[in-house]
Amino acid sequence: MAEIDIRMTVNGSVQQLKAGAGRTLLSVLREEAGLTGTKDGCSSGDCGACVVILDGQPVNSCMVLAPQAEGSQITTVEGLAVDDELQPLQRAFAETWAFQCGFCTQGMLMSCHALLMSNLNPTREEILTAISGNLCRCTAYQGVVKAVEQAAAEMRSQDQNRHE
Amino acid sequence: MNGPEYIAPANLGDALRIKHERGAQARVIAGGTDLILRMRDKVLAPDLLIDLKNVSLDTISDSDNGIRLGACVTLSQILSEPVITGSYPALAGACREFAGPPIRNRGTLGGNLVNASPAADLVPPLLAYDANLVLASSSAVRELPLTGFFTGPGQTVMAPDEILTEVRLPSMPAPTASVFIKLGQRRSMAISIVNLAIRLTLDDASRVSAARIVLGAVAPTPIRAGASEALLTGQELSGELIALAAKKASRETSAITDVRASKEYREKMTRVLVRRALESIRDELQRSESSG
Repeated sequence: MAEIDIRMTVNGSVQQLKAGAGRTLLSVLREEAGLTGTKDGCSSGDCGACVVILDGQPVNSCMVLAPQAEGSQITTVEGLAVDDELQPLQRAFAETWAFQCGFCTQGMLMSCHALLMSNLNPTREEILTAISGNLCRCTAYQGVVKAVEQAAAEMRSQDQNRHE
Repeated sequence: MNGPEYIAPANLGDALRIKHERGAQARVIAGGTDLILRMRDKVLAPDLLIDLKNVSLDTISDSDNGIRLGACVTLSQILSEPVITGSYPALAGACREFAGPPIRNRGTLGGNLVNASPAADLVPPLLAYDANLVLASSSAVRELPLTGFFTGPGQTVMAPDEILTEVRLPSMPAPTASVFIKLGQRRSMAISIVNLAIRLTLDDASRVSAARIVLGAVAPTPIRAGASEALLTGQELSGELIALAAKKASRETSAITDVRASKEYREKMTRVLVRRALESIRDELQRSESSG
């Protein structure tokens, strides 16, 4: 099987990778780019543990072939913190106990991050819709909702301060 | 593992030419949310993947008498299109209950059709709106009604060298009301136990002039409940008539028992859901009549 050259921007840096066409974006991120924050849960698009942001939209990286992501902009959980400083959403997850075992956490974070990119004042219903593709076996869903509400409030007030 | 070759043609002409040369051993990939799974499970082992990502089939546009949706339009795109949420609410409803956002951001309209799952959620609304499909090959383009497109589970009338390029929906005459209902084991991510779309159009005298009752996951392909539709046509909607139509529709199914539900449960639920759908359509039509 011929390997294909794949160029994509991951967390702001350009990656030149080689992979067979049947490889998933998930396996390339983990095994070629060394970004193991993204998890392999069900490998079938049901659990959301592998969610990354591809060209601005949350997607299951196990359901994207690596060559399909050629030329795209990808954000993984490693790309959330800025200069090693946790962002409001990440801090809120820790503070509200939005997880127990933590396996789903990165996928939850990416789905919620995508929501907050377009909506800093989400309703409870909108938050639940945003995480409807993410399973948490520990059932920490209430914590996740609380975390998003808390982070959204903090980000709104940051926004306001910036504009004053 | 020997994986497939991969190519992302720059335009439809190139994609069609390659499909013609390689035939059934080449699979078209758009979102990939179904194909990747079937490749992983070795249900499919194509020699070549033809990725349509650079072929411009991802727009929704108005036409003279309806709308046109490119085959690579994603479910998320459909959901954020006001023309669809406004005029084709059963289609929007099916997209809203389809998997979750990460899948809706990748999965495409065309993929849901060509994979020909008996439980495909977009098919009942599209049939209810009398959708037509446009199939292209390197030598011809043909437009055909979605009715008759499916020949069995996973089977369609598409030739090995054809690619689905567009779905066309005619505009709906007023007053029309339509609804999509899905029964699954949970609200998100579930494959339908029963799904259905119903569309009714009324004439000047408030009688049903067109009825479409489309049932999914209760037969080898999504089906129209023709006898039930005929019962409603020309009549005024009454509670009695609705109950009768719902009963008739459930008799038109040929459901099977599988991991998701039994044949008997599917038949019972078809009757319940058809009744609920017709009641909600009747209420909506009455509301629009009294407000209009």
